[in-house]
Amino acid sequence: MSRTVVVGGGAAGIGAAGAFKGTKPSDEVVVYTEFEDAAYSPCGIPYVHGKEIPNFESLFLASKEAYVEQGIDIHYETKVTSIDTATRKVVVEGHGVVGYDKLILATGFNYADPGVPGTDLEGLYYVKNIRRAMEWDKVLDDVKVAVVVEATPLGLEMVTALAHRGIETHVIDHRPWALSDLADPDIVKPVEDSWAELGVKMHYGVTLEEFVGGNGTITGVRTSAGLMPADLAVVCTKKVPNNALGVAAGLKIGATGGFIVDNRMRTSADGVYACGDCVEVPLGVGNLPVQGLSGSHAYAQGKVAGTNAGGGSREYQPVYVPWGMVAGAWMIGGVAYGETVAKALGIPHVMGVAQGISRARYFPGMRPIKVKLLAEPKTLRLIGAQMVGGEGIKERADFLAMAVKTGITLEDLACMENVYSPPIGALNEPIALAAQSGLASLKN
Amino acid sequence: MPKFSSWLRKNAESYLLLAAQRDVARNHDRQFLASAKGFKGMFFMKLFVPIYRVLPWKVRAFVLHAMPGSHRQTWTARERVSKGPAI
Repeated sequence: MSRTVVVGGGAAGIGAAGAFKGTKPSDEVVVYTEFEDAAYSPCGIPYVHGKEIPNFESLFLASKEAYVEQGIDIHYETKVTSIDTATRKVVVEGHGVVGYDKLILATGFNYADPGVPGTDLEGLYYVKNIRRAMEWDKVLDDVKVAVVVEATPLGLEMVTALAHRGIETHVIDHRPWALSDLADPDIVKPVEDSWAELGVKMHYGVTLEEFVGGNGTITGVRTSAGLMPADLAVVCTKKVPNNALGVAAGLKIGATGGFIVDNRMRTSADGVYACGDCVEVPLGVGNLPVQGLSGSHAYAQGKVAGTNAGGGSREYQPVYVPWGMVAGAWMIGGVAYGETVAKALGIPHVMGVAQGISRARYFPGMRPIKVKLLAEPKTLRLIGAQMVGGEGIKERADFLAMAVKTGITLEDLACMENVYSPPIGALNEPIALAAQSGLASLKN
Repeated sequence: MPKFSSWLRKNAESYLLLAAQRDVARNHDRQFLASAKGFKGMFFMKLFVPIYRVLPWKVRAFVLHAMPGSHRQTWTARERVSKGPAI
């Protein structure tokens, strides 16, 4: 009987362990996680803080007993300290040396170090571990002023959650608008307007200089725009791969810092797989490596790693990264490239932009939807999209990801058919309107 | 090589985005003064970004793809059976 060791108990790790068991039920799979729990939805934490979800318990995917019944041997609060890929052994704190036949690294991410003094103060919250989130949720009852450091995807969710909770919320970012490494300013503008209505204070183009404190606890945040008093700082810096264990074992990493993997999630070391936020995978349009994607990407990669480690055959495909979220009073989303990122990389493109509506114009609950499409100039094949609206963003992002993947053109989209039903869809589909706008701009 | 390529990607990504954000902000009537502090900032904003921008896309793509990473491993595109309807 072979033994497969999985390091990490998040979506990727548990996905891998489950897939391994599904492929080779008779063999042993052991999961080591540093945390008290496995397989919950950390993405749901901001919504519990914002009181949209009543409790943290609902974020757990399964009970610990359920994993035991599946034959997955999970060791909680257990750290793997080193790997020897030559002898196929890992060193586990409290367990000594453990041999493996296959190893799957699902070590996740860390938040990028803010790189300023004061990070050792009490009152800095890094949203990740559900047990700490439960403790922080009680603290939030007494917080009057909070500063969210960086308007990243998590930053947007935390700003919205804290503002919903009635906390005076400030967000600081050295960049010029919220989510500016991913989304375009016209897409984010409605979100920022709705934040302003909630009382959120936005400080863009402002650099973090220091977390200031007294008696070991944060009292404020010093920035290039001055000192901001604060009871709490939520650090939402970029997700960087937690690759130290694998790098020390000699595994190769790419330019993003993620482990280099192939379509079977095999790393550079024989018998070692990796998946989730610790790896990089190619973007299907432009073929650039990307890292730090969503939980659904991590889970799917885990399934591929686990199946292949178990002797099965499963391939992962290049990604197109449909994304979406609720921020303020709006949903925003997109796929692959937006205007800003295409401009940064210098990717030639044409654009079509249109404003549509989510339901028939007379139907209660109708909300506007803005769609921006980017296409390759010669063939007009789609290379990306961005959207903001009141509803229906996720479904459009998923559809447009398939459109980019299959080479759909602006011409195809301009004459696409669409569902028309007053409560769920308008006469004119906003995607089609944006494509028509793009084609019209080419004629002018 | 990985350390240099990681350093190059991190800084190139950061400053190319900063320059693009400055330009896109202008197009959308937003004010943003992209700062280039220190030798590194000056090097990337004053030298790297302008040179990168004048290179043809094919050259830029070649350099980007030459960096080590997962994109240079085996990735099999799923073959499409047909471009038309099933029946």
